[in-house]
Amino acid sequence: MSDGREIVIDVRNVVKTFDEGHTRALDGATLQVRRGEFVAITGPSGCGKSTLLHLIAALERPDSGEIVVYGEEITRRRDLSAYRARTIGLVFQLHNLLPNLTAAENIQVPMYETDLSAGQRRRKALELLALVDMADKARKRPAQLSGGERQRVAIARALSNDPPILLADEPTGNLDSKAGLRVLEVLRGIQRQRGVTLVLVSHDPTIAAAADRIVRMLDGRIIEEGASAEAAARVV
Amino acid sequence: MPFILLIFSNLLRQKIRTGLTVLGISIGITTVVALGVITHSARASTEEILRAGTSDFSVGRAGSADLTFSTLTGDDAEKLLAYPQIEHVSGVLMAISRVGSNPFFVQVGIDPADLTYFEMPLVDGRKLAAGAGDEIMLGNEAADNLDAAVGESVEVREQSFTVVGIYHSGAVMLDGGAVLPLATVREYERKAGLYTLLYVRVRPGTDVEVLAARIEEEHPDLATLVDLSDVGEVDQGLEILDAINLGITILAIFIGGIAVMNTMVMAVFERTREFGILRALGWRTRRILQMVLGESILLCLMAAALGSLLAVILTKLVVLLPAIQAFISPEYTPDAFLRGLAVGIGVAILGALYPAYRAASFSPAQAIRYE
Ligand SMILES: Nc1ncnc2c1ncn2[C@@H]1O[C@H](COP(=O)(O)OP(=O)(O)OP(=O)(O)O)[C@@H](O)[C@H]1O
Ligand SMILES: [Mg+2]
Repeated sequence: MSDGREIVIDVRNVVKTFDEGHTRALDGATLQVRRGEFVAITGPSGCGKSTLLHLIAALERPDSGEIVVYGEEITRRRDLSAYRARTIGLVFQLHNLLPNLTAAENIQVPMYETDLSAGQRRRKALELLALVDMADKARKRPAQLSGGERQRVAIARALSNDPPILLADEPTGNLDSKAGLRVLEVLRGIQRQRGVTLVLVSHDPTIAAAADRIVRMLDGRIIEEGASAEAAARVV
Repeated sequence: MPFILLIFSNLLRQKIRTGLTVLGISIGITTVVALGVITHSARASTEEILRAGTSDFSVGRAGSADLTFSTLTGDDAEKLLAYPQIEHVSGVLMAISRVGSNPFFVQVGIDPADLTYFEMPLVDGRKLAAGAGDEIMLGNEAADNLDAAVGESVEVREQSFTVVGIYHSGAVMLDGGAVLPLATVREYERKAGLYTLLYVRVRPGTDVEVLAARIEEEHPDLATLVDLSDVGEVDQGLEILDAINLGITILAIFIGGIAVMNTMVMAVFERTREFGILRALGWRTRRILQMVLGESILLCLMAAALGSLLAVILTKLVVLLPAIQAFISPEYTPDAFLRGLAVGIGVAILGALYPAYRAASFSPAQAIRYE
């Protein structure tokens, strides 16, 4: 395991409620993720997995508790947009690509918040497309791509501003197992080659098994953490 | 892809809606531009009359509802001649009536002796002779329309006149009309001793502005007409036209603004999820605002372009009507088009404010959950 490395995501006793407190989506969740680690989060529907990712991505604020990313409590950051654009890469269950843009153009969307020129943006988008093995589909629009291909474009988009952390919420949830494994392969490749920290939510045990560590959630808490069987096997 | 192209491509997502909105707004802009062109042309025609005969300035009765209702007397001419700076005053009585196919045939009654000061450049024939009550000089357009040449006779106000000369002054209304002896016009208009306008020629070295201002101060019942902005003093019709123009512009902004708002509200609400995703990907509020406002402005710029084009076509068609041809020829000044553009941008901003605000305030987490 990767104990020697620094902790980059530190979720401390976080509570998040909805509907004026009637729904406790997170009820004292605590989780630490180290640099370069691949953590899979599993658990039954409604246990708070997406909510946890959204809080780490600073899309919402916790009611209480702290989320420290790279040593800084995120709700205290002055510029949340910059944090979302540069520190976090997000991949959703649905690809959420813009339908009127080509694959290459979609990848450039987060780059509008940087000072790259149009030419630089385009070049970078093409590099990222090659990274997810989609170099030949640069000019295709989402409707012309398969589900797995769309998801790979979405991964390339998440990487467009070189974030050190990648958060993926059931990125294979809408794919058949073959396409799902392909997406997993791409994600794991990026985590290994680029040293990106990867937190992935999945119902699918075979997907979760690919992680360094599996975190199980229930009713808004983390109930169990451990090296995945695969990771354990690798150590032996 | 440059940001502006991203904005443009968003507009192309709903081609029919974008097209219909552009068309709707462009109609408002057409009205504004066409009215601007017509108002300007009407003013220009009036100014041409006030400047006719290469005078330095003209004098009318203050507060006249229309130029043709201005009435002055010999006493007024005497008041002017009392100023040593004034070399000559030519009194003119104007009448307008249907002659041939022109319902607004302008008749300028002038003492033939004054024609040395009130210059109507001749293209054929000669000036009116002193004492000949049945002579007429025709404008070149009028001669064409009536198909009359020098030496032939024409009928005006049920009287027969002999055409002695044909002039081309460059003023639309005068070239479509005629110059007749003052006494004749006074007789058939039953306006003995009256003038419509007095055309003033000053001595060399006189400051026209200063003199005109002094005359108005010393004789409040006289309006001195030095430039176009003075026209309203003797022609409230133009002032009314200006007011209508302003009213329509404001109306066009409101109607257009609501049309744009309707379109942009739809465009924003159907993309709720998308705006949330953009926020989640790190777009600032400011960029979202820029995108929505950009879409609206681009939409309205297209409308302004189309509206301006339609206005040019419309005004060209309108002057084919003889009634309008008689007193204006369309002049396309940048003013009218800038006004159209300003309406377009006003409409864009007015219509986009609320949708842009809404787009920027979508919560990213909610938007992602929203199916
Ligand atoms: N915006 C919201 N308003 C109200 N309730 C919400 C909201 N977001 C989440 N919840 C509730 O919070 C709880 C946790 O939701 P969350 O989406 O985090 O679960 P999840 O583990 O991701 O589930 P799934 O596996 O089905 O995606 C659920 O009961 C959900 O209904
Ligand atoms: Mg979820």
